[in-house]
Amino acid sequence: MARCYSRSSSATFLLPSSFKHEERISGRMLVLGRRYTTLIFRSYPSFHSRKQFEFKFSNGYPLNAVSLPDGLIGNSSTEEPFENRVEDGSVLLLEPGKAKSTLSITVVGASGDLARKKIFPALFALFYEDCLPEHFTIFGYGRSKMSDEELRNKISKTLTGRIDKRENCSDKMDQFLQRCFYYSGLYDSEENFSELDKKLKQKEGGRLPNRLFYLSIPPNIFVDVVRCASRCASSANGWTRVIVEKPFGRDSESSRELTRCFKQYVTEDQIFRIDHYLGKELVENLSVLRFSNLVFEPLWSRNYIRNVQLIFSEDFGTEGRGGYFDNYGIIRDIMQNHLLQILALFAMETPVSLHAEDIRNEKVKVLRSMRPLQIDDLIIGQYKGHLSGGKSYLGYTDDPTVPNDSLTPTFAAAALFVDNARWDGVPFLMKAGKALHNKGAEIRVQFRHVPGNLYKRNFGTDLDKATNELVIRVQPDEGIYLRINNKVPGLGMRLDRSDLNLLYKARYPKEIPDAYERLLLDAIEGECRLFIRSDEVDAAWALFTPLLNELEERKIAPELYPYGSSGPVGARNLAAKYNVRWGDLSDEDS
Amino acid sequence: MSTLYSPNCSFSVNDSRLATSFSISSSESQDSQQRITVSSLPKRFHRQNLYLHSPRNQRRNAVRMEKGEVAATASFPANETPMTRFKDELLKIKSSEECKDVAGFDNEESAVTITVVGASGDLAKKKIFPALFHLYYEDCLPKHFTVFGYARSKMTDEEFRNMVSKTLTCRIDKRENCSEKMDEFLRRCFYHSGQYDSEENFVELDKKLREQEGGRISNRLYYLSIPPNIFIDAVRCASSSASSVNGWTRVIVEKPFGRDSESSAALTRGLKQYLEEDQIFRIDHYLGKELVENLSVLRFSNLIFEPLWSRQYIRNVQLIFSEDFGTEGRGGYFDHYGIIRDILQNHLLQILAIFAMETPVSLKAEDIRNEKVKVLRSMKPLLLENVAIGQYKSHTRGGITYPAYTDDKTVPKGSRTPTFAAAALFIDNARWDGVPFLMKAGKALHTKRAEIRVQFRHVPGNLYNKSFGTDLDQATNELVIRLQPDEAIYLKINNKVPGLGMRLDNSHLNLHYAARYSKEIPDAYERLLLDAIEGERRLFIRSDELDVAWELFTPVLKEMEEKKIIPEYYPYGSRGPVGAHYLAAKYNLRWGDMYV
Repeated sequence: MARCYSRSSSATFLLPSSFKHEERISGRMLVLGRRYTTLIFRSYPSFHSRKQFEFKFSNGYPLNAVSLPDGLIGNSSTEEPFENRVEDGSVLLLEPGKAKSTLSITVVGASGDLARKKIFPALFALFYEDCLPEHFTIFGYGRSKMSDEELRNKISKTLTGRIDKRENCSDKMDQFLQRCFYYSGLYDSEENFSELDKKLKQKEGGRLPNRLFYLSIPPNIFVDVVRCASRCASSANGWTRVIVEKPFGRDSESSRELTRCFKQYVTEDQIFRIDHYLGKELVENLSVLRFSNLVFEPLWSRNYIRNVQLIFSEDFGTEGRGGYFDNYGIIRDIMQNHLLQILALFAMETPVSLHAEDIRNEKVKVLRSMRPLQIDDLIIGQYKGHLSGGKSYLGYTDDPTVPNDSLTPTFAAAALFVDNARWDGVPFLMKAGKALHNKGAEIRVQFRHVPGNLYKRNFGTDLDKATNELVIRVQPDEGIYLRINNKVPGLGMRLDRSDLNLLYKARYPKEIPDAYERLLLDAIEGECRLFIRSDEVDAAWALFTPLLNELEERKIAPELYPYGSSGPVGARNLAAKYNVRWGDLSDEDS
Repeated sequence: MSTLYSPNCSFSVNDSRLATSFSISSSESQDSQQRITVSSLPKRFHRQNLYLHSPRNQRRNAVRMEKGEVAATASFPANETPMTRFKDELLKIKSSEECKDVAGFDNEESAVTITVVGASGDLAKKKIFPALFHLYYEDCLPKHFTVFGYARSKMTDEEFRNMVSKTLTCRIDKRENCSEKMDEFLRRCFYHSGQYDSEENFVELDKKLREQEGGRISNRLYYLSIPPNIFIDAVRCASSSASSVNGWTRVIVEKPFGRDSESSAALTRGLKQYLEEDQIFRIDHYLGKELVENLSVLRFSNLIFEPLWSRQYIRNVQLIFSEDFGTEGRGGYFDHYGIIRDILQNHLLQILAIFAMETPVSLKAEDIRNEKVKVLRSMKPLLLENVAIGQYKSHTRGGITYPAYTDDKTVPKGSRTPTFAAAALFIDNARWDGVPFLMKAGKALHTKRAEIRVQFRHVPGNLYNKSFGTDLDQATNELVIRLQPDEAIYLKINNKVPGLGMRLDNSHLNLHYAARYSKEIPDAYERLLLDAIEGERRLFIRSDELDVAWELFTPVLKEMEEKKIIPEYYPYGSRGPVGAHYLAAKYNLRWGDMYV
């Protein structure tokens, strides 16, 4: 698997020796896929993982092993609830050598918003569900002075998240907080990181140390931290991994520069670029839908699919936090990463296997088959103040953290094309915006009309309305539904569009884990399927950079749309140009 | 269109130019069947049979896309869940509107008389009169209509109305005016007592009918709700003595249409002595079921199903019918026919034909029936080795003893009549070569249902097959169309169980009619009666269809009788005999209904 990114790492020899174990646990056959040992020899001096002895192990069910429980075949409504892998009674699988290893997770930028809202709660949820190794320690690292106790206080308020109502919660929380520590230091100080290293060693107590750094800090100090962490606080004989949050640069150049700097200190397989959309349940399910069902794959091409829509909307604006956003804009913030990643997963060919590198190889192929986005195929918008129901909503430029003359788009719609045999000519429409009338993320697949439709008489010219549509609602209210034309029961012959429906809430009583939980667990386990490889980032930027530069050079002004509206009219015109309608606006159209 | 069955039809002229001589309101009437049938046979209902398919027929087949419904599912529900949303937006179509759609005709000059021959029978009471009333209630019947009961027992009109009124119920969704409407309906009901083979009696009936028609163009529909041995007599009398002079006369015939190829052919021959092919409406009430009607809509108005509809993706198709009760003292008729003739050869085979047919040229009756005949003619006759038969035996459960089939007093003691049958059929055409079509029908089983199950092949090179192991079957997709009870369509898909692991399960993409459509689904008989009144033959069985259907089953039925094959016994209320499983296993299949 690691061989695939040899392109970007100069002198790496990877000797993958993978083997499969099958073990019988509590009467149930588990296939523990892909537990392998990778030895990496490096000739670079500054790499800390000169010998990286990597054990991928998973607690309970390994990520890639699939099991179809018996007895699940019955009626959806009557079935017993499912359990998560980790609650299946299964199971911390501690292998002989493994009991001696320990994991330290250092959240760099521990006092930030993301850390408080997402990272610590996700770690706690993993702990609560016994997904973390037996020996683990969590370190917060930040510039502000704080005691361990203060950190614990601070994070304890946000910890509960999705599991607040369950038993033992407070017990578990105490146990968890006991393992949390804080160290205050500068982000570019090797000394401080050396001290951190000491503290880490202390906690590790001589066990085999594995270290995960989560960089929850502004991008301008990414490289400093990576340098310090790599030189002074990396694991001597275990693994060291770094999770990086977006933005990964703001164009091809800056992104490449960032990657180049990273690579001075860490190898490709130590970098975990997180895109939390890839951790969403229904994005994960996209591949399952396509590749484990017979009924979808035959339809998955230009022969049957007329267009694909990737839609993201928020019903609030920057609300006083526009400083970061204004520098990036919605295209960089949502489209170039989240939506494009989903597109790549959606459109990729069947990978050789479910291994991370096989999947990422296919994704890169899609991205490289795509035409760079053209300015004609893009429309941008910015929300303006709006008075509704006696309440006035601020425009984007009214935000004090945003320059008054900002041209940064808060809305964008684009048509992209994948120029390969499967997708030639099929528009992939993307739409993302802030301060819209609703909130959600969904994938809509609109099928072509039925050739020679026997029932077309009254469809008239509006054949579009009669096409099938597959909707995968990523959030909120996860669900999958397939719109079909159906006969309205009764004596006449009238058709309507009904949905073949799978509503997660109704089918699966369990709460769906947050994307960060999945991704953190994957990073801990070294499963990089859902993380973005350097060449993917490159290819993604290559598609958007020319256009972004053009926008800035020509100072193209965004179309203004009222706060809380359905976005600028331009988006409809863009869709109309390809003879398409936005699936999410159909209620207004009709 | 009528020329398609010319083998049975002596001489018919199809001339659409005649259309101009009638008052035609629709511009599309060129393709509506304006037709004069000239017959040279002497004993015909109407030597000149003048059909006027009024524009309502067009409307009937016309498809309307409900605008409001397209919007049914909003993209991002803010506060409401899709479930509640569905409830809120349940379709509320006023049925009268719907029927105006259907019955957009009101020819002041014509009258329709519906004569139920065998009016005191069970079917008439349970199904025909209630269906007629519902049609009336929903304004689907023409303005001038009369209902006549005809039977041997003496009864006054009042007594007859009393009898009928007990059978009438009101739809749950529209209780208002019900008793008023009922009275109005009953006032249009009359009774005439007579022998089924007496032309005199039918002449009297004719007089009464004329009286009610009051000089309007008379259209007459006879519903033969009588035992098959008197079919021909009744048809002869009605045809020679009580057929319409200037309108149409149609006859609805109920099963059984014979009990093998020869008797069926004889029956058809008998009917044809007095009737034209297009006057015979052979009813198969399964074809009037909502979801059977929807089968063609699903296939032909959706892009996503048709590409999968072949041997390339479909591994097998299962047609399943089960009743949870036995003959219960009414086995006399049944014992003579058995489950294969009673269910497989007609209902299930008809559904199979609709399921498997090629895309017809249009939705017109003859185009559809042509395609159905093609399917039936492509099929191999059923082989004995592909049949498993069973008969229920007595069973005691929870203190209650359920009787065996042969315990029924109306059944001969040593009867070998199957009350259960499973069969594997094959269609030897390009689309379906090698795909088993499994049928299963039985009485006294553990459930009551009718459904179509389409099991798809397994995913080639499935990336996720690690733990499916040898049981790839469990991981295949399945499309289930539940005809009754609790109408629904669902597609079983493999889905990731939400959570941190990667486990798959079988989830359903669901369309549950009760949740989606607030309206009650009309009974099959309503649809079929309305179709017969309107001359829409799509859902009725043509003579050549019937012939081919019998050809498929007659050899095996004969062989079973000659070899005196004994059915496998299964307990009352069980899942049926094991033989059905062996039959499925022979083709490496499983019955889809056994997992639920």
